[in-house]
Amino acid sequence: MRKIILITILTITSLFAQVKENIEVPYVSYSIKMGKGFEEVNTNCLMCHSFGYIINQGPQPRAFWREKIIKMVDAFKAPISDKDAKTIENYLTTYYGNGK
Amino acid sequence: MKRRDFFKTAAVVGVSTLGASAFGGEVKMRQPIDNQPILKFNFPEKRPMITHSDRPPLLEAPRDVFTQAITPNDEFFVRWHMPEIPTYIDPKKFIISVNGLVEKDYIITLDELKHDFEQVEVTAVLQCGGNSRSAFVPITGGVQWGSGAMGCAKWKGVRLSDLLHRAGLKDGAKWIGFNGMETAAYYKTPGFVRELNIDELDDHVIVAYQMNGEDLPYLNGYPVRLVLPGYFSDSWVKMLKNITVTSDYQHHFFMDEAYRVPDNITEGELPDNLVKKTKPITRMNIKSVIGFPEDKSTITINSQLVVRGVAFDGGIGIQNVLISLDGGTTWEASLLDNDARGRYAYRTFRFSFKPKTYGKLEIMAKAVDRFGHEQPFAQNVLWNHGGYKYNGIDIVTVEVI
Repeated sequence: MRKIILITILTITSLFAQVKENIEVPYVSYSIKMGKGFEEVNTNCLMCHSFGYIINQGPQPRAFWREKIIKMVDAFKAPISDKDAKTIENYLTTYYGNGK
Repeated sequence: MKRRDFFKTAAVVGVSTLGASAFGGEVKMRQPIDNQPILKFNFPEKRPMITHSDRPPLLEAPRDVFTQAITPNDEFFVRWHMPEIPTYIDPKKFIISVNGLVEKDYIITLDELKHDFEQVEVTAVLQCGGNSRSAFVPITGGVQWGSGAMGCAKWKGVRLSDLLHRAGLKDGAKWIGFNGMETAAYYKTPGFVRELNIDELDDHVIVAYQMNGEDLPYLNGYPVRLVLPGYFSDSWVKMLKNITVTSDYQHHFFMDEAYRVPDNITEGELPDNLVKKTKPITRMNIKSVIGFPEDKSTITINSQLVVRGVAFDGGIGIQNVLISLDGGTTWEASLLDNDARGRYAYRTFRFSFKPKTYGKLEIMAKAVDRFGHEQPFAQNVLWNHGGYKYNGIDIVTVEVI
């Protein structure tokens, strides 16, 4: 009898989902270098991805950052103005550049 | 292949350039960055992991996971492309739609998936194409993963071919598009759609709802994901929602632009001379990772040390994992597990010895497949602009005291 009860319990539980309510994806506060252009990064870039996504590209030359911003606008359709794009490029090159 | 040979090949195939490259600098490959910090807190259904981003979530497993043949669900790496992921899915209401160039469109519930079809299982390695990308210098774009963007699980589900058979493919059906439920912040952003040629799909491809005997964790694609044994993870679509059959390739962004390598024999290119013609990364190349000991750890002299790790490839099968303790001059065979999990799973290896000299000791692992293909040294891995498919010989350096 005990065996039967155990089997019944296993069968019932397997019908339920492991998670029965909303999951909460936590926020991570990545260390951000404050400076001219951060406001524009905050408004334009962080709509779609975290700051971690930026700094984990590694230190990169200006041309790399420029290409990435162009990709965000052309391929991913992010509505970034030309003026903001230039400011963001300068910010990323200054604070997350490799000197090139 | 030596670098000068690569130049010859490149000259022969007449590579064309994209103009000035964004990279610059000389290629100097290195060991992937190891021991990146583990976050102090956890993500849903996960233990604390190396966290490259929270939106979209990008979580990497620490090295010590790679002593195990099966990666626990709560340490399995996570990689999404879009910021919006459903945070709750009602398993009673969830449906997958099969449509396009088929005799009969239909939708299927999770319950039907689990009961109306033959249930199958496959143990397979899931690895991001950009795993170990931090080995590339000049640094390429993309997440700077160490070697923890991979895992091996036992997947349970239904054969994709059985689902397609129920719909009935019409004449001319050639491509199958898969998309999941993640969405972008902007309506116009292209969705994460993957397309596979019907010729690439064999009976090993399944639509899986279970991972290591449990529901898939949300962050690994609950309630169902595509499982493509032997293939890099870019096409293992998570939260699979829609399967569309077409006669022609549909040119989606994530197919045309992302997850591609140079379409030449070596798959290599130079930062200042990028190859224009590219191809999808598809099948995995041979690789092994040492799980223990950890890099920069301390080992006791004259005490038996058992080096452990995992090796895998795209399905040819691992023949041997060789260990070197003298910088790659001599190699000795390690002991492999019994291969019970099949050719798409990790083979675990172990190698026991007594360190007899004080000071730094380099331990190298090199996998060899059944055809004799073997891993190259890191410095001989060819560079590509996306930082894909790194498979250099893994090295950990310990201090013997």
